Amino acid sequence: METVVYDIQSGDYASAGAASRQVKAHLKRLGADSDAIRRAMIAAYEAEMNVVIHSHGGRLEARFENDRLEVAVVDDGPGIANVELALTEGWTTASPEARALGFGAGLGLPNIRKNADHFTVTSSPDRGTRVEFTVLLRPQPVVPAATRSLALYPDLCTECRRCLAACPTGALRVRSGRPLLLDHLCIDCADCIGVCRPGALALADTAADVSELEGGALALPPAFLAGFGPRTPVTRVVAELTGLGFAELISSHTYEDALQTSVMAAALDHELPWPALAPVCPAALDLVELRFPSLIAHVAPAASPWEALYASHGDATGACVVSCPAQRSALVDLGAKPQWLVEPQLLRDALLPALFHGDRAAPVTTAPLPSGPDPAPLLRVTGVAHVLAVLERIEDGLLGNVPAIELFTCDGGCFGSPLLIEDHHLATTMWSNTKLDGFPGGRTVERAAPLAPRPGIRLDHDMGKAIEKLARLDRVRRALPGRDCAACGAPNCAALAEDVVLERADVDLCPYLPAPKEARA
Amino acid sequence: MKLDDIAKELGLEYLTPQMSDTEAVDIAAGYASDLLSDVLANAPRGGVLVTLQVHLNVVAVASHAELSAVIFSAGRTPDDAVIAKAVEEDLHLYRATDDTFETVGRLHALGVKGQRA
Repeated sequence: METVVYDIQSGDYASAGAASRQVKAHLKRLGADSDAIRRAMIAAYEAEMNVVIHSHGGRLEARFENDRLEVAVVDDGPGIANVELALTEGWTTASPEARALGFGAGLGLPNIRKNADHFTVTSSPDRGTRVEFTVLLRPQPVVPAATRSLALYPDLCTECRRCLAACPTGALRVRSGRPLLLDHLCIDCADCIGVCRPGALALADTAADVSELEGGALALPPAFLAGFGPRTPVTRVVAELTGLGFAELISSHTYEDALQTSVMAAALDHELPWPALAPVCPAALDLVELRFPSLIAHVAPAASPWEALYASHGDATGACVVSCPAQRSALVDLGAKPQWLVEPQLLRDALLPALFHGDRAAPVTTAPLPSGPDPAPLLRVTGVAHVLAVLERIEDGLLGNVPAIELFTCDGGCFGSPLLIEDHHLATTMWSNTKLDGFPGGRTVERAAPLAPRPGIRLDHDMGKAIEKLARLDRVRRALPGRDCAACGAPNCAALAEDVVLERADVDLCPYLPAPKEARA
Repeated sequence: MKLDDIAKELGLEYLTPQMSDTEAVDIAAGYASDLLSDVLANAPRGGVLVTLQVHLNVVAVASHAELSAVIFSAGRTPDDAVIAKAVEEDLHLYRATDDTFETVGRLHALGVKGQRA
């Protein structure tokens, strides 16, 4: 925390704006995000101008905290006679001089209120005016908002709180009857979407109608092809897809195979520290950046299979069936249009009539098909809990004898995406019993942007302060009942304790709190 | 549209020739207002402002709003201190002989539209 005070002279239009400019420079140095800086600037400049225009002089005090800017702008009078009126847009008492310069339009205080996260104004005619506001300087989200593929429809939330337990990084809260995403913690996996029955958490914009995509190429994951049950072989699905009118089918498995081969080769040549990590699941990579930045050097400098597929086919890629938000985000980031990205269910619905029509009545052979490619020698780790456990082990230096690992945040890898219907064991078996030719071959492509550590779970930028907060967090957590019931809207008691310490929530949200006063300590 | 092309099309006089990168600056949106609080709250980031105000605070507000350029309409001329401050803040200044209405109309015809920030 740091407090800076700037003096503001009454009537000094020439140097007006100096205080807010310095606040801005400071926020930039702190690395606040640009939207927060803009809002902070508008509020600070308006408050500063009010002192110049209306008062006998005053000062701006800015407190820079870990996640917020707190500003108090205080003047020496003459004060505001009617604060409520002053908060009305268009109401002004500015001098003709100020108005001639384009100030005093009665927008100042309303502008501050609009741009700050908290705002108070107190004034009395003899003592002067005190305007206080706070702007939250949220950390940069893990996935930029423009590409993030988790969409929130808060009005649909029924407060079932299933998402709280499902989220592997504790990024969700349910507050005031609505889901709230701490986007600096969201890794764009699909776990919350899979459990949200009312659809308040869903995949962001994708294609609306399959028929609009026909005629072009279609890229899709093996899990989709193998996901129609044990009596519908992959060859049949491929035939029906061709029948729907897609000109060419591209399967991501050829790119996955290419990546496995290249990562294994790099590991065996000791080009990467063991275990080398194959960048196959973008959500797992987000997890490495967020929680295990020390392991970034283990990740092969290749693009993910879907990124490689998209880069290889360029504009001819056509429609892509995305099996999770992270894949969608990666493709949008490469410039894919959301209307060309297909949610698996949509294409499945389009295929079902053909698959179950006519000759489907005749039993399809259930005999094992010719065996597929040999399993890759990479250690395959699936499911967030296992991924976290293995990453911990790597960080502890305990897996140096394993050449290469692929990590998937979904149980069963991409076959287990919550957006796919078939059980992942059955779909995986179906796929491994399939031998398919005729798909375009895959290749690996270099990663465009290097991985970088992401801030997000530090309690404070200042280590001393962070330790203090940790102690406070521990006190609050011990005062909480430890039932992890999620009634407060946080996934567990530790998460509520963190919310309290970071001032995101009040400890009173816990309905079982035995002694609220102690917990607030 | 590039700032340089806009200036040519509208016959604007460039007031900050100390800066040189006008071919590189892309302007997608604009705003017109003489009320500085309004500019601050609503002008689109990276855009151009058309205004009658020529005093120092315009530069401060345009810089806070992260605008790329300001066009002073109706032949209004800022003093040297304003120009110096603008150069310091990396803000391009132009003078138009046309009034605000005419200037905005021609900008709009060139594809520079309003876009609430």
